[in-house]
Amino acid sequence: MATRPLGVEVPGVALGLRRPGAWGALARFCRKKPLGAIGGAIMLLILLTAMFANQLQTYDPIATDAAQSLARPGAEHWLGSDHLGRDIYSRIVHGARVSLVVGLASTLLGSVLGGIIGLLSGYVGGMTDLITQRVMDILQGLPLLVLALVMSAALGPSIPNVVIAISIPIIPRAARVIRASVLSIREMQYVEAARAVGLRHLRIAFRHVLPNTIGPFIVLCTAQLGSAILVEAALSFLGLGVPEPYPSWGRMLSVSAAEYAQKAPWLVLFPGLAISLAVFGSNLLGDALRDTLDPRLRGA
Amino acid sequence: MTRFSRIALAMSLGLAMVFAGPALAPAQSPKSGGTPKYGGHLNIMQREDLAQGFAVHETSTIATSWPSMPCFNNLVVFDQTKRAETVDNLVGELAEKWSWQDNYRNLVFFLRKDVKWHDGQPFTSKDVKFTFDMVREAPNAPAKLRINPRKDWYSNVEDIETPDPYTVVFHLKRPQPGLLVMLASGYSPIYAAHVNPASYRTGCIGTGPFKLKEWRKGEFIDYVKNPDYFVKGRPYLDSLRYVVIKERGTRTAALQAGQLDVSFPGETTKTAAEQLKKAVPGLVITPVGTTVNDNIIMNTKKPPFDNPKVRLAVSYAIDRRALITTVHQGGAVPGASMQPKPYGVWGLAEKDLPSLPGYGKPADMKAQARKLLKEAGFSPENPLRVEMSTRAIAMYVDMASFVINELKQVGIEATLKQVETAQWHPMATRGEYQIGANLTGLGVDEPDANYNENYACGSPRNYSQYCSEEVMKMIEQQSQELDVKKRLALVARLQKKVEDDAARPVLDWRLDYFTMWPHVKGLVPHDNIYNFGRMADVWRDRQ
Amino acid sequence: MKTYIAQRLAVGLLTLFGMSIVIFGMLRLAPGDIVDILFSTGGYVNPSERQAIERELGLDRPVWEQYVEWMRQIATGDLGKSYRYDLPAWDIIRPLLPVTLELAALSLIVAVALGVPLGVISAVRQDTGLDYVLRVFSLAGLSMPSFWLGMVIILTLVAWLGWIPPVTYVTPRENFGLHAVQFALPALAVGYRSSALIMRITRSSLLEVMREDYIRTARAKGQSGRVVIWRHALQNAILPVVTVIGIEFAFLIGGLVVTETVFNLPGVARFLVEAILWRDYPIVQNLVMVIAIVVILSNLVVDLLYGFLDPRVRYGH
Repeated sequence: MATRPLGVEVPGVALGLRRPGAWGALARFCRKKPLGAIGGAIMLLILLTAMFANQLQTYDPIATDAAQSLARPGAEHWLGSDHLGRDIYSRIVHGARVSLVVGLASTLLGSVLGGIIGLLSGYVGGMTDLITQRVMDILQGLPLLVLALVMSAALGPSIPNVVIAISIPIIPRAARVIRASVLSIREMQYVEAARAVGLRHLRIAFRHVLPNTIGPFIVLCTAQLGSAILVEAALSFLGLGVPEPYPSWGRMLSVSAAEYAQKAPWLVLFPGLAISLAVFGSNLLGDALRDTLDPRLRGA
Repeated sequence: MTRFSRIALAMSLGLAMVFAGPALAPAQSPKSGGTPKYGGHLNIMQREDLAQGFAVHETSTIATSWPSMPCFNNLVVFDQTKRAETVDNLVGELAEKWSWQDNYRNLVFFLRKDVKWHDGQPFTSKDVKFTFDMVREAPNAPAKLRINPRKDWYSNVEDIETPDPYTVVFHLKRPQPGLLVMLASGYSPIYAAHVNPASYRTGCIGTGPFKLKEWRKGEFIDYVKNPDYFVKGRPYLDSLRYVVIKERGTRTAALQAGQLDVSFPGETTKTAAEQLKKAVPGLVITPVGTTVNDNIIMNTKKPPFDNPKVRLAVSYAIDRRALITTVHQGGAVPGASMQPKPYGVWGLAEKDLPSLPGYGKPADMKAQARKLLKEAGFSPENPLRVEMSTRAIAMYVDMASFVINELKQVGIEATLKQVETAQWHPMATRGEYQIGANLTGLGVDEPDANYNENYACGSPRNYSQYCSEEVMKMIEQQSQELDVKKRLALVARLQKKVEDDAARPVLDWRLDYFTMWPHVKGLVPHDNIYNFGRMADVWRDRQ
Repeated sequence: MKTYIAQRLAVGLLTLFGMSIVIFGMLRLAPGDIVDILFSTGGYVNPSERQAIERELGLDRPVWEQYVEWMRQIATGDLGKSYRYDLPAWDIIRPLLPVTLELAALSLIVAVALGVPLGVISAVRQDTGLDYVLRVFSLAGLSMPSFWLGMVIILTLVAWLGWIPPVTYVTPRENFGLHAVQFALPALAVGYRSSALIMRITRSSLLEVMREDYIRTARAKGQSGRVVIWRHALQNAILPVVTVIGIEFAFLIGGLVVTETVFNLPGVARFLVEAILWRDYPIVQNLVMVIAIVVILSNLVVDLLYGFLDPRVRYGH
């Protein structure tokens, strides 16, 4: 790791990274930001559920069973079963995998791509910056859901395509945030110093400026993760999201669920709660991280 | 026409008028509910906005036919006050009398003389000839349809003759008793000859009991009473509104809350009906057949489904009764390619079904499926992998998911591909799929319509591209059979044959739990969703 | 000032131009077109009939030619004809706009009415139990899928009351009371979600401002807490809020689509989705352009407002 000039406030340090006593920092974070800690716990729970879905399930999530159609929550089916006799609990557990994978993948893809665009655009400046900004404006001007809808229709329903479709609206938002961060860092002394020493621009961009955008980047990711999960749910609800047989929380809320809602409310209740919980957790965590990492960003 | 033939025709027409078939005046009194009262308005459920306006001849969907019924009339129609759709229940609308001639080779209609189009023009035989020459794409047809799904219904019509303004004669190439029934379908209304057929995509000039007042796109379709309707004393109602609600949950809620008086045919499942009845015990719910079936299409032109053993294995693997329990929650019935009794006339009886693939004991059926797959060269070490396509609509996806799970149990690994509506028919017609979960609605319970559309060689809607000389012969044979009993037997054999060939295995026939508020009187749902809803005999009771 | 506006408008025009190319291209990327859909309503496909319709609608011409034709139509103020309805696009879109605009405006009002006071309370009582409760409540609104919320509302209403808001659009002139009832719930549903962000921004910018020296000075001078908050702090905290309101307006479309569908309101958002599914190119293209124009203009208005409110930022950038 490149040595850091002392005395300069680097956002990453506030989180306790790259410093001994990371656990101490974590404990401090939990104490200072209990809501954020709860958010983090929720996300961790969901992550673990997704990772150990196969172990946690009680039934094969796609196995149908006519005899168990619309079973009430109980000993046999912890959260009940749907009209095809599929176990809701197992589907929610596997749905975590889908929602998290799609949410994380699309958020990372969008944020990284957008981040690189924002980084280069902000650093280079000038005409490149101007043009890139207009292109970003174009992408951002198109309503998020509409964009994802058209992309999804264009690409066809499959997990990689849904990831791409959802990541595209994220790119301009990521670019904007990173660019703003870059603009403020660019003028800092140590960057001037690096340039004076004669380091190549690209090197400066990636080795000095980039690490300092990690704070805003993390905040951006957690904020967008919630929105990505919601967009995936909406797409699945409209029939264009993650296809069968992968259980998706959004698709579990589709028309069939509304059909049986009065007879078997657990069909509608649990997937909705799952989505809300995931987005809620990521938002709580994101808020707390933002407060901790850069007080200046609180107003952004 | 030679002088001789002209005389012959005149004589036959004369005889026909004397011995004409059922010559019922179309006004039927509603069966129940008391004395009809005049006036009032009804809000009727409409599942989605009109696809191509009121151009019934250019679409094949209930979404067009249901809200168009009040605007049009047919030559003949199924009695709107009786549930069953049989030849005995045919009544005349624009035709006063009709008669088969020359051993079912000529069909003569004597038309009413007092009918006016909604724009005041008189209705004559010219309109009938215009409509059906257009639909059958006669060589000198005066107009052409942009999209023509039912051309094949009239492939046996040689010529349509109009000897005078109130007589029409359909000359057929060979006897076809089924033609009369096809003309009674909601898909066979009469267009006006003096109006551009394209205009039906944006408006409606018909002869029916209601006149189109306004079609507010995406919102509703408003009708007002036709004061000049040829049936005196009808309609009873002053106005109708078909309310467009796309969201299923909202639709049902609107019906429950009383903002809709009548449900949409085929839309009310058993579960929804149970919930509705529980919430509003006074609702009138009538379980009826729909003449809509779920089936599996398989591309018979490409491996692996070019092998009949593999197709048969698929049919054996699917437990029909379990599918009905889960996907339809019991709101469907098992049957072969014609709608089963008591909902249909031609369908195989319950006792004949167990001999067909998929209807016997599930364990036995699945074992049979595995055996067939083994014979075809597949095994647990070399499993059959396929891609199942279906439309990206919840009901289809559920059906496909269930079927995939059934196939898994006999060693067929299937993945699901959801296809957007825009893609489905082009994909299916071009044969760009392996196996698909499909839904087919029959405009009328008539074997000619069904088999020519879905099983005949080269028919665009024969998505499986199934082609069998033997089956074609059987279709022709039953079409010409004049003796009803003999014809029933022929159609039964035909049903067994296509199920054994697993050309397009039928999974179930859907039921509809047609729902109305109790103040709606005189509306009788049929065992077919496309052929009722004229609304002329419907009245609203004061509460 | 005028040059600033002119500059922004010029840039906006350029952006619109770029967007037109993007939406045009993306639409045609999506497989299938109106002809496919028309045939699907017929239940079959016939290649020669298909060609005839394509020719009729002008879809057989090369893509770039279609684009030029579209641009030419816009330049002459003609928004083209809907493929589905065979009517001028503007005639179809026009009655839908007031519905969506009204819903959007009402939702924003709800969002501000809910978000700002909650944000103030939350900031003033920072890190207390009340703060946490309010933040959780606000965040819950943001986390729920909008379609779920709408569905739950309708289903609960019909199950408990046997009543739902009118499913046919009622104009204010026809029956104001019924109209108000019809719009109240959807506005609440959408507004609740938007209020979360506004609440969050209000809270954080207020917190930041409260730390400022001049606030502490005013306090030290003895001015009552409430006066300090309302006169000094809020004035300055409003700025980011105004910006966010502008951003939220653009984000609203997503929530509006679903809400209009569930509550059966004939608005532009719902119609747009329908048009996409129908590949009704003229409608989708022109509607997206209209939305983009609205968004760009609202961004401009917000920026001007920002400049007006905060003298430090006046000719910014």
